[in-house]
Amino acid sequence: MTADAIPLLELRGITKRFPGVLALDDVSLTLHAGEVHMLMGENGAGKSTLMKVLCGAYTADAGQILADGQPVRVRHAADARALGVAVIFQEYSLVPHLSIAHNIFLGREPLNRLGLIDQARMHAQARAVLARLNLDLDTQREVQGLGVAQQQMVEIAKALSQNARVLVLDEPTAALSDRETQRLFEVIGELRRQGVAMVYISHRMDEVFSLGDRVTVLRDGKYVATLRAGDATPDELVTLMVGRKVDMSYHRGERPAPGECLLEVRGVSAVNGIRDVSLKVHAGEIVGLSGLVGSGRTEVARAIFGADKLTAGEVRFAGQPLRSSPTHARQLGLGLIPESRKQQGLALMRTVCDNLLLAGLKRLFPSNLYQPGRGHAEGRRRIAQLRIATPGPRTPVQSLSGGNQQKVVIGKWLVAGTRLFIFDEPTRGIDVGAKEEIFRQIDELVRQGCAVLMISSELGEVVRVCDRAYVMKERALAGELGRDQLTEANLLKLAMHHG
Amino acid sequence: MVETMNSVASGARARLGAASGAAWLLVGLCAVFSVLAPGFLSGANLVNVLLQATILLLLALPMTLIILTEGLDLSMGAVLSLCTVVLAVVQIDSGSIVLGLAAALAVAIAFGLFNGLLVAAFDLPPFVVTLGTLGAAQGLALVAAEGRTTMGVAEGLRWFWEGGWLGLPVPLWLAALTWAVIHVLLYHTRFGARVFALGGNREALRFGGITVKWSLLWVYALGGVCVGLASLLLTARLNGGHPTAAIGLEFDAIAAVAVGGTAFERGKGGLTGTVLGVLAVGVMRNGLNLMSMPSSVQVAAVGVVVIIALWIDAARGRA
Repeated sequence: MTADAIPLLELRGITKRFPGVLALDDVSLTLHAGEVHMLMGENGAGKSTLMKVLCGAYTADAGQILADGQPVRVRHAADARALGVAVIFQEYSLVPHLSIAHNIFLGREPLNRLGLIDQARMHAQARAVLARLNLDLDTQREVQGLGVAQQQMVEIAKALSQNARVLVLDEPTAALSDRETQRLFEVIGELRRQGVAMVYISHRMDEVFSLGDRVTVLRDGKYVATLRAGDATPDELVTLMVGRKVDMSYHRGERPAPGECLLEVRGVSAVNGIRDVSLKVHAGEIVGLSGLVGSGRTEVARAIFGADKLTAGEVRFAGQPLRSSPTHARQLGLGLIPESRKQQGLALMRTVCDNLLLAGLKRLFPSNLYQPGRGHAEGRRRIAQLRIATPGPRTPVQSLSGGNQQKVVIGKWLVAGTRLFIFDEPTRGIDVGAKEEIFRQIDELVRQGCAVLMISSELGEVVRVCDRAYVMKERALAGELGRDQLTEANLLKLAMHHG
Repeated sequence: MVETMNSVASGARARLGAASGAAWLLVGLCAVFSVLAPGFLSGANLVNVLLQATILLLLALPMTLIILTEGLDLSMGAVLSLCTVVLAVVQIDSGSIVLGLAAALAVAIAFGLFNGLLVAAFDLPPFVVTLGTLGAAQGLALVAAEGRTTMGVAEGLRWFWEGGWLGLPVPLWLAALTWAVIHVLLYHTRFGARVFALGGNREALRFGGITVKWSLLWVYALGGVCVGLASLLLTARLNGGHPTAAIGLEFDAIAAVAVGGTAFERGKGGLTGTVLGVLAVGVMRNGLNLMSMPSSVQVAAVGVVVIIALWIDAARGRA
């Protein structure tokens, strides 16, 4: 790649306006063959909008797109596809009840002479594409049953099968374990050698430096700068993204000694496949639950919460045995905050205040009569306590940023009287600034006497935030690490398969 | 994401599982009626069950595709009734069975296209659209028939219900042929893959650069074709046209699809289940008939069976 070579693709002065918002303001981006171009910026900086313009989902109000130096029109997804642009979005665009092969070739299935789908050829081609990714999956399998990492690989296979020249990866590692991430990086390396240009949207600093050739930073819909990855420093990038010097790190302060044992899991096996898991969480403690994706971490949480039935062992909360029922767990003060924000029981159209009170109505109003004054006071109190950035308590939750929606979820559980929080990947898909804020929230929760069990794929996060950590492997507990042994290397050693 | 809940049962197994639920229901119903309903197991009656099921199958097959796209067609029964009238009137006036069938098919396809156009191009909810066309078709049928049965169709028309070919009754041939065509459409064409994607993940189609609209339009149009074919059987069976002949048949069709394990979301389901579901509903109606149960009881019973089937489905989903 030389600086004066004609770029594979160039976006010039792209502007996109939505009612009331200038989403993109004169943004430019050049992509050369065989380059991994990191695209950074906080949530709302315009990264996704820019990519949607690139792939034809949105049409720009102003600006130009050039392919091989020639101006082109990208008005529909088909135009982008013809240019060889393929996008791997965070929300996978797969059809659950179609086979892997069908998904890879959706709309482009090889046909036989009768105009029917040539099943044999389609599956053979699908296997060939998957082989390029070192994947050995049964192409007849429905996508429905695949894990997140496998679904992503199917997405990438889909793009490869279209001979993509430009591949857009939107936070591809957000849901992957470290091992799967490594696998993805190998694939990216291979594609780079093949001359594919990649736009890689990421919130992870380490990825920028280990993967990227160049970095472009956006802020508030505006182009800020493009740097060679080798010339940039993390501090510099963060400054460019935020526009001011911020503390990148939440610093874990000294915490009071743990209190009573809130959660005790004794020899639990469950129908979801976990075997003989025992762990304890005390009040005032943040305990990590680490392990590779698919190692059974979420399953442990579901078993504790009573969402999946136990086959052996028992769960005690503050000394009381838990019946295998989410309702009972909730009543006793157990809160499960799942990975996907869409599933977190936020009524997105309703106001921040409504959402905060949703689970605590019985507690706040024992007489069953809703008192608007008291409700609002409680809402405002929690908004202040959790520093939720919202124009007001009556703002619909859907207009808040991801991080602030997450805080509303936490607030909702607090109002309901939750004392033990189980977080499942609390920072997935959340930008740097909001991440630190979430860590502070979690810290604040334990200072107030709550306990936290935090499931996380990011080892660094576990090390920074947790007091102790359990590591899962193959649906059983691989070990426990105390504060003084809690390092990324130790976590990884326990989580990895031997041999 | 969903790794926790769905990784255990692979999709293919789940689909078989849903269809096997309908199969068990069918076996159970047959067992119950062979004891309770006099003459249920006689050969003549079993052939009768199959014959009766053909019309329902002609509606339930396209209904499966429509429901896979997260749609619904409530107008099928009313349009079918209208078509029996159209077929009978045109046949009597022109003296030609072919013209009669052509007119009925044209009316049915027009309704299908109209439903599809409103759903696809204008993005209106299928429930409301087809509820509207239900009313329109019902009204037209009453006007066209002047409120009564249109009798006196050609003798030759009865062959389509009573006749046989290679030892099998004609309606069974027609039903089997329709099944085969729709099976190929759903599982061996791009159109079929789009049907699953329309319910499973429309974004997949949008980013794939495929126009969603036209596939949806054809799904409803296919419903029209099948309703037209069904009107041939029904007119032959009634020996005339009747403006309320098939009122409520869409209920049985939706019930059969639901019993067959096709879900109302996420593009889950398939044709095998629907065939079994049609047989289950058919057996149910036939058995209750033999037990001299009034049709009001039959409707309620079908409703109960649907709820039981959905409940079993939900229970399987949780496990």
